[in-house]
Amino acid sequence: MPETSEMTEAGTSSRRAFLKGGAIVAAPLAVAIPGAAIAADEREARLRRLEDEAAIRALHQDWLRRVNARTAADALFVDASAAQCLDAAVCAIAPDHAAEAERIEIAEDGKRATGRFTCLIETETRLLPENTFAQMALAQGGGITRTSERREVRANYVKLGQSWAIATIETRAV
Amino acid sequence: MPAKPDPQTPMFRVAYTKLTEGQIASALAKVAKAGPACASPLSDSLRGKSLRIVTDKGPTLSYRFASDRQLSVSENGGKAVDAGYGALVQDHITLIAHLIPNSLRGYAVVIDNRTNIATVFDLWFGGFVDKREVMREIYPGYVDTGKPEPVKRHKLSNRAEGKGFYWKQDTGYETLEYYPSAAYSHFVELTGTGNEMGFSAPSDYLQIDDEFYIYDRWEAEFSGTFTLYVMDLNRQEQIGLRLGFDRLDALDYYLFRGKGEWLGQIAQFEKFGDTNGAVLPLPENAKKGERRVYRPVRTYPKMTREQVAEAVAKNRRVFAPRVGAGSGASGMAVNGTPPVDVLAGKTFTIRYDGGPVMEYRVASADTLSWRKDGGAWKEARYQAWESMPGVVLFGHLLEGEPNHDGHMIVADFDAGLASCFNGYLNTPYFAQEAGARTLFGVLEGQGIPSPGSQRHQRTRELLGRALTWNYAPGLTSMHLYSTPNTVSWIIFTDSGAGGMEWSGSGDFVKIRDGLYFAYWLEEACNGTLGTILINMRTMHDAGIGYHCGEEGLSMSQIGAHARHAGQFDVARFFAKKEA
Repeated sequence: MPETSEMTEAGTSSRRAFLKGGAIVAAPLAVAIPGAAIAADEREARLRRLEDEAAIRALHQDWLRRVNARTAADALFVDASAAQCLDAAVCAIAPDHAAEAERIEIAEDGKRATGRFTCLIETETRLLPENTFAQMALAQGGGITRTSERREVRANYVKLGQSWAIATIETRAV
Repeated sequence: MPAKPDPQTPMFRVAYTKLTEGQIASALAKVAKAGPACASPLSDSLRGKSLRIVTDKGPTLSYRFASDRQLSVSENGGKAVDAGYGALVQDHITLIAHLIPNSLRGYAVVIDNRTNIATVFDLWFGGFVDKREVMREIYPGYVDTGKPEPVKRHKLSNRAEGKGFYWKQDTGYETLEYYPSAAYSHFVELTGTGNEMGFSAPSDYLQIDDEFYIYDRWEAEFSGTFTLYVMDLNRQEQIGLRLGFDRLDALDYYLFRGKGEWLGQIAQFEKFGDTNGAVLPLPENAKKGERRVYRPVRTYPKMTREQVAEAVAKNRRVFAPRVGAGSGASGMAVNGTPPVDVLAGKTFTIRYDGGPVMEYRVASADTLSWRKDGGAWKEARYQAWESMPGVVLFGHLLEGEPNHDGHMIVADFDAGLASCFNGYLNTPYFAQEAGARTLFGVLEGQGIPSPGSQRHQRTRELLGRALTWNYAPGLTSMHLYSTPNTVSWIIFTDSGAGGMEWSGSGDFVKIRDGLYFAYWLEEACNGTLGTILINMRTMHDAGIGYHCGEEGLSMSQIGAHARHAGQFDVARFFAKKEA
């Protein structure tokens, strides 16, 4: 993945970090401004981030559905050619609920974002008919080996108008 | 007129006559009106009765039984035709068999008289390229008694998988029959052949109840003969039908009774609770009777000696990285142990009884020099594995030998003994198909003890055993050592059920307690010679595959994790005769 597409520390915090930071900031504010009066623009920014995060999460789910259904995901990408981001052997991806929670980070300008999702990626490989074993396995309708591996899906997103699209996706070993 | 096949010729070597539909019809016409022969008394339990068999997705058969030999049958309400028939009864099960005169068709019907559940086997000739091959379609159904139809049906089940029987028919025909797969079976004809070879054929297993099963097989790629029987597991008895043309083109059409002996039960590898017997998916757009059948010879290229020489000259790959197709055993060693360098620097000689004297100078972990019978020294690439301390398996090609020999050698440096599976090409049926001979000898060299007259010996300690071999994730098969010189292999399905099966010649040598050197020939399928040193303590093998094809000659590693699936008790059926 090109380094420029990585989110940097300049990016706005994730939802969880955002909420955590908000709590820390909120305490003195609560002292300073009784009645919990939050500036309208901050509420608006916070709402926008939450909406962006929800949209990105939905986009990710849509991508997962399409991968698992083996249907085209081109429409979810900025560049359709980037949709061919997975090894052809990948046949299924499932969120790994036992792993660290997802991380979505939205850039300060609100136009770019990154997502980190730990997933279980299942691959299937068709045997080459290069020995008797494989020839027989294929002849009986099998010959496909499946493996499952925990990997991190790293996605870069771009906001186009009011919608988010996927710029790139790659997976890395966890 | 072609010579009649020798009874000892293995089934996969017989050039069966391509019988025409006319020839088949002519043979059937002679027996269709009389019914099947039977060496035992036929049942007269149906005499004077009428039966209506209704099947779920197949024909409705309306029978009137005039006698114990004659019936009339109407198919789907059509015009009734008269035919000869025979019926046998085993406890609460009745088997009926008849042909439809003036056709290539017939039926076998199995009725459970307690439940009125019935299964119809629709049988016909002429449905495959080889017209002599009997086809079958199975229709579950019931006997229409006017009462509500039974809910259950006889169904394909894996509950017979893993069993084995010796059967002796009332005709005197004796077989060992192994059911190591839910889709295939393996049979050894003890009568008439004398070659102690086992063969594999597609089969169906239907469960009637806990102790009665319907079994069938058709000898696809061989004579095409169809065998069906109901087996009574507890009584060890069978009633059955045999229909087809034998290797001499004589028609077998007879019912039989048989008595059996239990050979044992090996393990199954499906998940607990899985009793599914329909383990192989039907081919896409399968026609009536079609199913998945391993037919290797139809796609196996036939090379001449000249083509073999050209291919070998063009490409020899010895323990080369596994890329691309054609190494014969490639991909079969992900679970293998790494090669060792224990032979590096050693100099030794192997004197084979009645065979060559092989001298070795081993330069490194993968290079040695050899010379045969005092000839010129030649360098070769090799690899070695030490399966037990002091016992080394190694292999190399013998460049320049007219039959492109390869030696796969087990050398016991503590005992001074060596055995070799000598692979070679230019065999009679397909020149690229490997042949093998077993050589026994002594090791000579510094510090190696003299064994005197002692030699490794052929063994029957593996006879009847079944071992699973997991070569790599998702790549697991099972060997069944069904006779003293047969290795059969079964490919598991994704669910762990036994699937397709094939068989070839083999040999078994005991190296030490728990350590056996075995080979199998992938005859009439891929031509590979597989050799493995089986360590029954580590349950791991070290092995070498020797293979020739259009892409050249190769020698490659085999290695897998083993599980012991069990052992059939069959030693008593094979007279001790080997040296």
